[in-house]
Amino acid sequence: MRPAAAAGSCPHCGLAVEGAEDVFCCAGCALAAQIVAGAGLQRWYEQRQLPAPRPGVARGDWAAVPVEEVSAGSQCRLAIDGLRCASCVWLVEGVLERTPGVVHARVSYATGRSVITFDPELVGVGDLGERIAALGYRPRPVGAEATTDRDLLTRLGLAAFCTANVMLLAASVYVGWFDGMAERYTALFRWTQLALATPVALWSAAPFFAAAWASLQNRILHLDLPISLAVGTMYAHALVATPLGHDGFLDSLCMLVTLLLAGRVVEARGRRAAAAAAASLAASLPTTARRLTADGVQTVRVEELAPGDRIEAGLGDEIPADGVVERGAAEVRMALLTGESAPVSVVPGHRVVAGAPVVAGSVVVRVEVVGEETLGRRMVAQVASAVDRGLLPTPGDRLAPWFTGLTLAAAAVGAVGWSVAAGWGVGLQVAVAVLVVACPCALGLSGPVAVHAGLGALARRGAVLSSGQTLLQLALVDRIALDKTGTVTAGTPRVVAADDAVLRIAAGLERASNHPLAAAIRDEAARRGLPMPLASEIREEPGAGISGTLDGQRWCLSSGGAGVVRLDGDAGLVGLIRVADTRRDDAATAVAALRRFAPVAVLTGDHADVADAIAAQVQPDEVRAGMSPEAKAGWVEERRSEGHRVLFVGDGLNDGPALVKADVGLAMRTGAPSTLLAADGVVVDEALGPVVAALRVARVVRRTVRANLVRSVGYNAVAVTLALAGWVDPLVAAVLMPLSSLLVLWGGMRIEGRVRAEEAWTSS
Amino acid sequence: MDIIVVLLPAALFLGGVFAALFVLAVRAGQFDDLDDPAERMLHDDD
Repeated sequence: MRPAAAAGSCPHCGLAVEGAEDVFCCAGCALAAQIVAGAGLQRWYEQRQLPAPRPGVARGDWAAVPVEEVSAGSQCRLAIDGLRCASCVWLVEGVLERTPGVVHARVSYATGRSVITFDPELVGVGDLGERIAALGYRPRPVGAEATTDRDLLTRLGLAAFCTANVMLLAASVYVGWFDGMAERYTALFRWTQLALATPVALWSAAPFFAAAWASLQNRILHLDLPISLAVGTMYAHALVATPLGHDGFLDSLCMLVTLLLAGRVVEARGRRAAAAAAASLAASLPTTARRLTADGVQTVRVEELAPGDRIEAGLGDEIPADGVVERGAAEVRMALLTGESAPVSVVPGHRVVAGAPVVAGSVVVRVEVVGEETLGRRMVAQVASAVDRGLLPTPGDRLAPWFTGLTLAAAAVGAVGWSVAAGWGVGLQVAVAVLVVACPCALGLSGPVAVHAGLGALARRGAVLSSGQTLLQLALVDRIALDKTGTVTAGTPRVVAADDAVLRIAAGLERASNHPLAAAIRDEAARRGLPMPLASEIREEPGAGISGTLDGQRWCLSSGGAGVVRLDGDAGLVGLIRVADTRRDDAATAVAALRRFAPVAVLTGDHADVADAIAAQVQPDEVRAGMSPEAKAGWVEERRSEGHRVLFVGDGLNDGPALVKADVGLAMRTGAPSTLLAADGVVVDEALGPVVAALRVARVVRRTVRANLVRSVGYNAVAVTLALAGWVDPLVAAVLMPLSSLLVLWGGMRIEGRVRAEEAWTSS
Repeated sequence: MDIIVVLLPAALFLGGVFAALFVLAVRAGQFDDLDDPAERMLHDDD
């Protein structure tokens, strides 16, 4: 091996380079540094905690980014990937704000979102995207954002204010029951309570009434119905009781509305995050195509394409429609067809599919399939279903019809019984008391509180689920299927064997390439501590490989067959680099842990010998090799028809059918965007550990939700009995009602602790 | 005790002012993002 001279590093991305001085490793980094300097922000290089990512190409459909008109100009939102620290935010904001035409830029580190206000006369959305990409960060167009929950928050705030005051006044009146209080003061307090409770009952609680009314129209008994019934009863009762000089249930009413609204706010936040993630993935898929016409290239929407049209796709594009290559040569990732993420070379005559990203070269494609069958349409349908999934009934909702029926029956029995025994006045009071104490506050909170505590606990462990329903489903899983490529294995090639000398030259040639193998070679060189030599006259030809000059010699790097890259010098073959998709570091321990929950099967489209090699390392219960996407989906279907509940974890586009068929489908973050949409959840970390955590958290949450249901049913049994016995007055209700909610909240808050306890128990 | 007739409305008015300020803050979008301002204060702006 050639001894490395005192190594410098690339001033922008921090990559080690050969030579005593710091030089830029590629033209992209040099340009990025120029932009930073041009904006007068060099200070960033001293302040940053981590070097910048390597600059790449910005891709996406910038024309599809919604632009909003505000007073200062136009406003758009872009998602930015690759922000590594707070300094990155500072840099991106600084560079954007110094871009001519930009009025204002705000970047959020926590959410990776930016809001940019600009003058459309001077600068376009595409320019902004390219500017961010030039720095090394990856901008993505964001689809229409879910609206924020300002309205719900305002209702909650007002309800909380009124509730606090109503409770103070109510407590004073209750004390007066025992200590005596002049009638004029109790009257003042009661009327003030009524005044304060009115906005809570009529405005803050309005969403419950609206939902209850909608559920009545659809003939579905939703949980909002008994809630509205209780709120309505309490308010009507107070309207009658206050002028007559009796105490109302206004304190209970206010607290009920406030607690339920708080639950809704928590729920809305979670749902909004899931919807935003789905929308941004959808927006990052191609929605426009460059069509070749007699007079040149024309950008059209994907829906306007017709079979027979010729479209152009170049480096960084995703091919917008299914078709056949007519001209040119390119390397594309055809994960949709093959499931393997390694790029394949396509030349005229080859088929390409919509959504396949071009990683090198450019092609002209004759469109064959358009309409409902194109990937874009399937995508939209999947996003819609993903959002609908958040609206599936919770266990509490399923109990709602029974609950409402029983409550109304109990109220009727109480009213009739007491009317006969003690007159209709008492009968009416008992009926009101039954409706009030039976309000399903705890039932309404039990789902959201436990599930959201669970989703939070899971997010901290590296997996994000699209809905709480998924979490509850996950607890019932009794068969687990893992895709091999990209799930059990990393899905991206890694160098498994190469000489240092060969690797050094290869890294030098590949220094600016966006090819996946180039990244593997650069990463391995960096891991071995080889500074990157600076090859010159680099030429990259799709399909043929890459060539360049280094150390006064001409080198050529090309494919030497499956999993082999060959390096040729002037005198022929110099060395080989072997690359392979290796198993994830935690695959063996994760599979062992998963087997404690359910039998684990590894499904793969690969040959049996490849599958057996991986199986020998991770030890699953079953291995199936040579499976097509349909066969995987069929396997899932078969297990389900046997009565099993199946969890499928995959990453390739070809896992889509199986992900949809499975009871719960989890996608690896590195997978294709459409896989992420077909899935119920995403494993964010580059590991299998979060899948284990997901199963563990799901079981804890399920147990908690059940315990909560038992608690609230038990509470109601006691409370309704007390009400029927005529023992519930406003004071008893005020004590009983929050008691049930507290029981439920206490259960939800213990979820993180219980998950930790289980983790400690299983690891010991 | 008659002072309560003055104090009660006065206290409610004061509380109401804060409730109104809260509503204004929500409308102005101050609660839309609760995570970033904590990060933002750490960079010194030029």
